[in-house]
Amino acid sequence: MFRSTSSSAGRFFLGLGLGVIASALPMLASSAATGWEIVHDESRLGFEATQQGGRFEGRFEDFRADMRFSADDLAMSRFDVTVATGSINTGSSQRDSNLPDAEWFDTDAFPEAYYVTREIRATTDGYEAVGDLTIRDNTHEVVLPFTWQTEGDRAEMNGAVTIDRVRFGVGQGEWRDPSVAGHEVKVVVDLTLER
Amino acid sequence: MKIRNTRDGWGAGAQLLHWLIAAGIATAMLLGWIMVNLPNSATKFELYALHKSLGITILALVLLRIVWRWINMVPDMPGTLSPREQKLAGAGHMALYALMLLMPLSGYVLNSAANFPLNVFGLVQIPNLTPESETLAEVASVMHLTFFWVLAAVLVAHIGAALRHHFVLHDDVLRRMLPVRRR
Repeated sequence: MFRSTSSSAGRFFLGLGLGVIASALPMLASSAATGWEIVHDESRLGFEATQQGGRFEGRFEDFRADMRFSADDLAMSRFDVTVATGSINTGSSQRDSNLPDAEWFDTDAFPEAYYVTREIRATTDGYEAVGDLTIRDNTHEVVLPFTWQTEGDRAEMNGAVTIDRVRFGVGQGEWRDPSVAGHEVKVVVDLTLER
Repeated sequence: MKIRNTRDGWGAGAQLLHWLIAAGIATAMLLGWIMVNLPNSATKFELYALHKSLGITILALVLLRIVWRWINMVPDMPGTLSPREQKLAGAGHMALYALMLLMPLSGYVLNSAANFPLNVFGLVQIPNLTPESETLAEVASVMHLTFFWVLAAVLVAHIGAALRHHFVLHDDVLRRMLPVRRR
C-alpha cells in the first residue's frame, strides 16, 4: 500500500506512520513480554557445593518469582525472584540444622534472599540475565546465563552460575575456611513455567 | 626376604601390608580422638576429612591384605606355643581382622547416613552407602565408638603378646614380622 504512494505527501505520511509505529513499539512490547507462573512441582532452585572437599547438592524448597520473558522483547523481560532462605534442604539433617544459624543464612534476621534482573540480553548460546543478588543484605551483581524454550503455553528455563558464598556473608567465622565448605557454590536453576 | 609368605615366615607383601595398616590405624585412632574433642574450627574439619580419607584407605588395604593372605600360605605358629595359646592367638587375629573391617565400615555408614560427601584425600569422591537417616547415623556412631574401644583392647593384647614373645619367650614371632635377618 505504502509502496504505491509516490507523492511527497505520501512519503511524509509513510515517515510519520513509521515514526508512530516505532515510538509505540516499547508500549506494545510492554504488553508483549509475557508473564509466566512457575510450576513448582517440576521446578528446582538448586545448588552444588562442597564440604570437606566432597560435592553435595541442595535446593530451596520455597521460592517465588515474578517472571516476565519474551524472546522477542528482552527489553521488557524481567525476573524478580524471592527465596525463603529457611527452606534450604541439602538432604542432611546434621548439615541443615546448621544452615539457619547466624554464621550461615541467619534466617531469623534475613528470611529472604532476592534476585532482581536489570537487563536480559541474548547471547550466542541463549540468554543472560544481569541482576542483583541479595543475600543477608549483601548485594552483588550476578550474571546468569540461561536457555529458554517456549512450547505453546509452557516454557523451560535452565541456567547455572557459580557464586562466591563468602561475598554474601554465608559461612562466617570458623566456617569461612574453604576446607570446611568450598567458597564456590554453583547455583542451578531449572524451571518449568506456564502462561 | 621373599615377596610371598613361606612356611616359617611372613613375606615382604604381608609385612608391608601389616605395617602400613598398623601405622594407618594408629594415626586414624589418634586423629579420631583429637578431632572429636576439638571445638568447631577449620582444623577440626580438616582432621575429620583426613580421618575419613585414612579410614577408607585402611579399608582398601585390609581388603587387599585379606586377599593376599588368602592366596598365600600362612606361616606355622611356633611349636613352642601350647594348643591353648595357639587357639587364643588365632581368635585374637580373627578379631583383629573383623575389627579392621568393622571400624572403617561403621565410619563409612555413619558418614553416609549423615549424607556427608566423602572425598578421599581430595582425589576421588566415593558414593554414600546408605540413604540419609538420623537413626542409622546414631546407631553407626555408637558402633564406631564401641569398636574403637574393643579394637584398642585387642591391640593392647596383640602388642603385649608380640613383646612377650620377643622379650620373655625369646622366640621368632615378632622378628618374623620385621624385615630383619632371622637368627
